Amino acid sequence: MAEVARQALADAGVNPQRMSLEWASAAEGPRFVELITYYVNKIKGLGALGQGENEPEADVIARRLSAAVKAAGARKPRTAFGTLAKKMAKSGDYSPEAVSEAVRTKVMPGLRAERIAEEILICLADGAKSAADLAAMTGADDAEVEKALTALAKKKAVREEGAGWALG
Amino acid sequence: MSAQMDNNKENAMAQEGFDPRILGFFCHWCCYAAADSAGVSRYQYPPNVRVVRVMCTGRIDTRFVLEAFKCGADGVFTGG
Repeated sequence: MAEVARQALADAGVNPQRMSLEWASAAEGPRFVELITYYVNKIKGLGALGQGENEPEADVIARRLSAAVKAAGARKPRTAFGTLAKKMAKSGDYSPEAVSEAVRTKVMPGLRAERIAEEILICLADGAKSAADLAAMTGADDAEVEKALTALAKKKAVREEGAGWALG
Repeated sequence: MSAQMDNNKENAMAQEGFDPRILGFFCHWCCYAAADSAGVSRYQYPPNVRVVRVMCTGRIDTRFVLEAFKCGADGVFTGG
């Protein structure tokens, strides 16, 4: 889950270091204090959301994340996640590299496609836009936008309008 | 030049006074109890974490983390 969250955050333009997963047992008060202090200082170093290095503007991040939340609830990526979890339990290989690689190849393509489709719908809500504009807004390449638009058009969620696209 | 310096100074000051909003998902049996015992033993730690207690860290879903950032959290700390 943590790895999926990290890669989904990176996909949305957020620095994945902002998400942390640590362990402290009930008897480890001092260790907890250490962890929290270290983590808060790290976030202070990174700055507010949208002000970190290579992070887009706050409103762009907000749009990406709304799309990502919807994408994370979509059936396809969740099924992929469940299948992967089962497969990993069977193989027993939980090394960080294997997990990261498996998530990147098995879960992320579906999640990213869903995120782009959801973000296109959000972008089109305030008027028609060209495919190139949508690519710039979603941070996806032309082929990915094309694919998402074709799939959405099939579901009649969007339609071609002149040189651009509008909600169907 | 001086305007730029002023600007830099302002940025530095904003950075120094920056109070991150961090959402913490704490396991009821581990990290939450650790936080409690840290409080009882009067250890000092930063007050930036807003805590959501969950009955198990396994309850947390990717959606929770994304939603937290969407709502404007600067970081999400998951404690198991």
